[in-house]
Amino acid sequence: MSVRRVTALVRRIVAQFRRDRRTLALIFVVPIVLSALLGWVLRDQQATPVRLGIVNDAGAAGARIAQVVIATRGGPAADAALVDVPAGTITDAAARSELEDDRLDVVLVIPADAVSGLATGQGVHLVVMTQGANAPTEGGEVGQVQQLLVSAIASAVPGSPGAPRIEHATVYGTANADPFDALSPFFVGFFVYFLVFILTGISFLRERVGGTLERLLATPVTKGEIVLGYTLGFGIFATLQVIVLMAFTLMRVDVPAIGPFGAFTIGLAVPSAGSPLLAFLVALLLAIGAVSLGIFISTFARTEFQILQFIPIVIVPQGLLSGIFWRIETLPGPLQPVARALPLTYAADGLREIMIQGRGLSASGVQLDLAVLVVIAALFVVLAAATIRREVA
Amino acid sequence: MTDTTRTDPPAEPPTARAVPGDVGPDGPARQDVPALEARGLVKTFGPIRAVDGVDLSLEPGRIYGLLGPNGSGKTTLIRLLVGLARPTSGEATVLGRRVPSRELLARIGYMPQADGIYPELSVWENIRFFAGLYGSFDRERLLETLRVVELDGRAGTPVLQLSGGMRRRLSLACALVHRPPIVVLDEPTVGIDPALRVQFWAHFRSLSAGGATLLVSSHVMDEADRCDELLFIRAGRVIARGSGAEVRRRAGTDNLEEAFLRFAGDGTETAA
Repeated sequence: MSVRRVTALVRRIVAQFRRDRRTLALIFVVPIVLSALLGWVLRDQQATPVRLGIVNDAGAAGARIAQVVIATRGGPAADAALVDVPAGTITDAAARSELEDDRLDVVLVIPADAVSGLATGQGVHLVVMTQGANAPTEGGEVGQVQQLLVSAIASAVPGSPGAPRIEHATVYGTANADPFDALSPFFVGFFVYFLVFILTGISFLRERVGGTLERLLATPVTKGEIVLGYTLGFGIFATLQVIVLMAFTLMRVDVPAIGPFGAFTIGLAVPSAGSPLLAFLVALLLAIGAVSLGIFISTFARTEFQILQFIPIVIVPQGLLSGIFWRIETLPGPLQPVARALPLTYAADGLREIMIQGRGLSASGVQLDLAVLVVIAALFVVLAAATIRREVA
Repeated sequence: MTDTTRTDPPAEPPTARAVPGDVGPDGPARQDVPALEARGLVKTFGPIRAVDGVDLSLEPGRIYGLLGPNGSGKTTLIRLLVGLARPTSGEATVLGRRVPSRELLARIGYMPQADGIYPELSVWENIRFFAGLYGSFDRERLLETLRVVELDGRAGTPVLQLSGGMRRRLSLACALVHRPPIVVLDEPTVGIDPALRVQFWAHFRSLSAGGATLLVSSHVMDEADRCDELLFIRAGRVIARGSGAEVRRRAGTDNLEEAFLRFAGDGTETAA
């Protein structure tokens, strides 16, 4: 491994980018425009089977409500129900940890003042609590629970109690957070992965068809040096991209009205609970894997257009299966191991844990995500080096 | 000068084409170790025998012309000799060492048929990049290499803005940036104008005078007389070898194309 040769490769890639303004725009402008659009457009996702826990602080009246809720939607054995109550009635502290550890989706808290408003016709007061890490999914789950509660209250409380007043609380963040708050970590990861893959795939394809790879391989450079040089060269731009994307996601700048243009805002101002630096590391590991994946895929394409054809094969399924739209546990059986083999799954999970749940390096979940991303990146590096056909190493 | 050494593979069946133009290397080798050597080199792609049993031994310090029509196996043979492709059978050596070898690649200058330069980059960035891969970054030396191909005035120009001939010159400069003793050029003069072709050959001659061994492929017969020795290749086999004068004498014609056809033993095929 020669530092000089790797440096030559890195410098060349940087110089090529500097000459190619449109590609630079692709790296920095496109993710901003797209993530802003998606942030505005996104709506709630479909409901999935909801795991419900119940905390009763309202004594006998509350116990009756809990009983009816459990009876209406079954106990641990009921698997056909839309709402499952695996844990039954639990304590407040237990409810929080069950939510944090993803063993429950929603906790129904029957507060001490649950039925005290009945006399004045205010209806039953209830609180539903979710994790607050995945707003679109949780919105659907809360909807399921609310439907159940309306019918449960009608049969559990004598007379005509009217519609219950249901508050929504979350463990992390705020319940009325924008869906984009929760989705932003995913988009940071997805755009980095997507754009780095496209850029490397096409650049390396051009090396293959333009005769420069042939020439490269006629020099004493090693395959390892080529893959490393590409990883570092593209890593520089991936790093800049992640910085831009993170800044755009975490901060906001209010631009005042100038002349005919009205005031507008740049940036989404999503609050990150955890270390932005750690989130950055996750995104970077993902990008490194994408560099090698791009080199690998370029073997199977003859034109730039054919690289684009790999998007629906390599990129889109990763996005769908990464656990952001549907939790991995709720995917059809055969798809679950597939989802667990994809790097984006771990990056999205890690970014969510860090940015939404505020976990650090000491959390086992974050450690696992980082470790898997390193292993996958290493695997792709080996695959990429293997596709550079050469008679000497 | 006697024709004692045959350059076609000895294992060929007797029905194989005769090799009337085989004149063998002239006299004993000037040095113990040939610059380039091939023994029974065969490369097949499926049913196609792109290189079909080539034996050759090239002496140091000379210019060899590899002549043959398109598709005759020139590029495949060159890639085998440089070590970019693995032969199906047989072996090649460069400076006495068996290819492929990464150490040898540092001593070979290879100019592929495609330009193999980066269009977005400037002339200087291209040549500096390849110099970096050879681990030899010396500003003066790079400038001198550019001067030789008369591109020193355009060091900052992006390749996209260069004419086709300038790109060929840059491609040549990139192959010579590390001063290799072995220079292998795959159709270096294709698509360039006659004035530039003259320049190229003058430069090849000065490289050879400096001790380098050159193997230059071409499908243009009128370049042949600029080489010290010619190798006629057809259907993956060397069908004749010798200086331009020798080849003409043996074929009994002044026209090299006619000579080629005569050696090919098949008057219905044209040599490009």
